[in-house]
Amino acid sequence: MNASIETPRPSLLRKAAMVVVLAGLGGAVGYGAATLTDGVLTTWEDELAVFMSVIMIAVGAITAFMVATRPATVPRGCGVLQAVVMLLAGALFLLPVFGTAWAQPDVVYGGILALLAAQSVANLMLWRQADEMLRRVMLETSALAFWALQLALFVYAAGERLGLVATITGWGLMGILMGVYFIASIVAAARRGLS
Amino acid sequence: MNNRLKVLRAERNWSQADLADQLGVSRQTVNALETGRYDPSLPLAFRIAKVFGQPIESIFTED
Repeated sequence: MNASIETPRPSLLRKAAMVVVLAGLGGAVGYGAATLTDGVLTTWEDELAVFMSVIMIAVGAITAFMVATRPATVPRGCGVLQAVVMLLAGALFLLPVFGTAWAQPDVVYGGILALLAAQSVANLMLWRQADEMLRRVMLETSALAFWALQLALFVYAAGERLGLVATITGWGLMGILMGVYFIASIVAAARRGLS
Repeated sequence: MNNRLKVLRAERNWSQADLADQLGVSRQTVNALETGRYDPSLPLAFRIAKVFGQPIESIFTED
């Protein structure tokens, strides 16, 4: 077999170096976010939203870096769209928390709706551009997240109806939903060897 | 499902990216096909058969 047809596999040392670099980056981003928001975030809902936002923006930035350094011709534009979707999702989770520091709530809300529309268009374009395996991963992510969330929602809702657990705000539920969806996407992608 | 994609690709000295370009899928999809992590749709299986000039049943076999 010709060596050139083999897909180069990263060595153990390179993988370890990548883990160290990513862990360092994650630590730095986490420390920076915690420092910047120290004393600003007063509820666990906002803390979760900012945490999810930092993760999505970091993933979006890494995806953009990968697209810039290792562009793929097929499927065309998927990498860019994935980065755009993640970055916009990150921004969408930050605006309700910090937006009112710069503008009135109704203006912030209008901006959120505009960003949401743009993100939905990007998501639709990503679906249309994706090849069949990426679509399968998206479908499996949705199915896994829906199954886990409807199960969790029922358990919570029944407990809340019985007065056994405290009420969670819609904003808190949204943060939990995004966290579960993120984990589901990692599981679905890993099953297909995507990393 | 088992397949002979890697062998057929090797015989032609194609990289995964070369094959991916011809099939109109990502290199990751070709890798997932070769490692058995993903079974192709029927349309993609037909495209694979056409690219290699072989019938589907000579490329894909049951476990």
